[in-house]
Amino acid sequence: MATTVSETKDSGEANSKWLDAHYDPVANLYTFASCIALADLHGDGENKLVVGDLGTGASNMKLKVYKGTSLVSENMLLDLPTGLVSFLMDQHEPRTPAIAVASGPFIYIYKNLRPYFKFTLPSLEVNPLEQEVWTQAKEDMIDPTSLKEMLEGIRETAEIPLSVRSLKFLMLERQAMENFVSIHKQQPIRRQTVITCISTLKKNMAEEDAVSCLVIGTESGDMYVLDPEAFTILSKMSLPSVPTLMDVTGQFDVEFRITVACRNGNIYVLRRDSSRPRYCIELTSHPVGLVRIGKNVVVGTADETLLGYTQKGKKLWMVNLPAPVVTMATMDHHTRGFQAVLVGLANCQVQLYRDKNLVSTIKTPDVVTSICFGRYGREDGTLIMTTKGGGLIVKILKRTAVFDDRDTVPGPPLAQSVRLNVPKKTKLYVDQTLRERENGVAMHRAFQMDLIRLRLTAARAYAKALECSLTPMSASLTEPLKMNAVVQGLGPTFKLTLYIQNTAACKPAMGLAVCFLYDQTLYSMKTTFFKIPLLVPGLNYPFETFVECLSDRGISDIIKVFILREGISTPLLTAHINMPVSEGLALS
Amino acid sequence: MGLFDKLAGWLGLKKKEVNVLCLGLDNSGKTTIINQLKPSNAQTQDIVPTIGFSIEKFKTSSLSFTVFDMSGQGRYRNLWEHYYKEGQAIIFVIDSGDKLRMVVAKEELDTLLNHPDIKHRRIPILFFANKMDLRDALSSVKVSQLLCLENIKDKPWHICASDAVKGEGLQEGVDWLQDQIRTMKT
Repeated sequence: MATTVSETKDSGEANSKWLDAHYDPVANLYTFASCIALADLHGDGENKLVVGDLGTGASNMKLKVYKGTSLVSENMLLDLPTGLVSFLMDQHEPRTPAIAVASGPFIYIYKNLRPYFKFTLPSLEVNPLEQEVWTQAKEDMIDPTSLKEMLEGIRETAEIPLSVRSLKFLMLERQAMENFVSIHKQQPIRRQTVITCISTLKKNMAEEDAVSCLVIGTESGDMYVLDPEAFTILSKMSLPSVPTLMDVTGQFDVEFRITVACRNGNIYVLRRDSSRPRYCIELTSHPVGLVRIGKNVVVGTADETLLGYTQKGKKLWMVNLPAPVVTMATMDHHTRGFQAVLVGLANCQVQLYRDKNLVSTIKTPDVVTSICFGRYGREDGTLIMTTKGGGLIVKILKRTAVFDDRDTVPGPPLAQSVRLNVPKKTKLYVDQTLRERENGVAMHRAFQMDLIRLRLTAARAYAKALECSLTPMSASLTEPLKMNAVVQGLGPTFKLTLYIQNTAACKPAMGLAVCFLYDQTLYSMKTTFFKIPLLVPGLNYPFETFVECLSDRGISDIIKVFILREGISTPLLTAHINMPVSEGLALS
Repeated sequence: MGLFDKLAGWLGLKKKEVNVLCLGLDNSGKTTIINQLKPSNAQTQDIVPTIGFSIEKFKTSSLSFTVFDMSGQGRYRNLWEHYYKEGQAIIFVIDSGDKLRMVVAKEELDTLLNHPDIKHRRIPILFFANKMDLRDALSSVKVSQLLCLENIKDKPWHICASDAVKGEGLQEGVDWLQDQIRTMKT
């Protein structure tokens, strides 16, 4: 019940922040956060949504452009897109951005949505032994069987891995080998790597519309920075592992910082003028999403946690998420100066975190696979999400939406930090404090003396009580007895019940008697003395007797009860019963 | 009011003045509509995004309009509510071609209608479903459906399709507004 209430409250809260602008559950759009971008492609002030659609994964790869709620353009892609960015190539007017689509070892550049340039990654060094073997095969000096044996030998020992052609050859059946060799032996061997991630880096100006370089990460563990106009390699850096996620900040000519999450579960920070990583963050689990908020890096990992790090790799905070992370994106609202992290979770939720605080949750009808926040059309705060089922969701941030940055982490309650209305220090208080400060020793001594006196008095009273057997518990070890008395009635006749218990382990008490002592002018009792029968240990024996109050002046007195042993005059137990005022008499 | 003014009023020489607020999202065509309604010699050729607001005046057969042409950009929309008190009528312009931001227009309209300065006043609201010339524009009926105009029960309202660049549909709307204001005054 409580959860449903909180859920409705959450959805109501999300509704108060976001307007549902568009939802098409069958948009047929299958993509990831790396293949989605917002760009003003036509220079008309309206941002379009550019998506590298993965299609079915084998066919139907398309470059799609949305304007508003409708699809305005589609270009076929030859291969699966691994990344898509929009960037400004040059200073020419109109300033329309180009689209770079990375797939395989190529980057396809589109201008005005027309193919403009194709960049190919430099090929890698080929193993000389492999080269040698294939040259022999080309000259028909070895047959395919021995070629296979030699290549297998190279694969196991060589430092430089085999080319794709050799690997394909090794997979073949015996019959197909001959044919394969005869087809391919004439071409030279090339070893090609593929692009794993792509991003942009401003060339030399920080403005929004500055020319940007492309930054690419490859399967061979290298990072390249490309010139935006000539597409030459400006800088090459290498990493210990394969980069998967990347965030770039800064300017190429001044200072930049590339944060890369790698397939080995580490995050490396690269800087200008260093071809090797400067800092390394070792994660306990694999990174799924990587975004930067200001100078901090926020990482979502496969073990359902969200971690915050400084740019030097110092861990700042950690939040446990309710479900596995699917995708992540930054929410950067320039006009409001609001920055937060959007985390798409596998339980059909998109959570918005500002630092480690959850500020909002959006429920989605399907699992969100990519998130993009920015200016779309003419609206600055637009949130675009694509879902696992190929849907497209567009939400617009309300103008009046406020995200309250409350700390959701359990800690001291808010009331603790509320200032109490403490009155001002009075003169008396100040004087007292001064006196205490000056005469501290004397005051302590006086206090100690009084305390000791009090203890002495208490000890004396206690000793006396023990001596006179005034306690309800018998002090003697031979006759352990316990007694309590109850007075019932309003008066003038009271019923007095004595409960006597023998607390010894197994020894019965014998030969005991009870004696009452009272003011004869006030009370009268039928028997002031009676004998107690044998007391079995552990049982509580009630003894009843009646007391009549003789006075009608509404006064009361004490009745003393003694338990005596035959032949000994000092009582074993003494009880003083405070009699109540006789109300019956007072009324009459 | 002096005797002469009264006399002029009876004779129809002096026209009644009304303050009208022109509201709507950015790029919906508010300034273009107001520009078209001005006499042809006072019209400007190039329309630029309004900053803050601008005050324009134009006259119809019986009324003299003072229009507060408010900027529709997100950051200036919080200015609107400061002028609600003065407004005796509202012109709300909608870009019929912008399906995506129809929810934003609805949101702003709802905020407007629920504002204490507007809520309990029976002021006429004229809607222009602008940019009808666009190929993928929504019809005025569709626009009124999307904005839930049928829920406005306590205020007279009217929606007309318009093309502010050519000036089509504007006169119809202004005539309606003029009739409403005159029935209110009398």
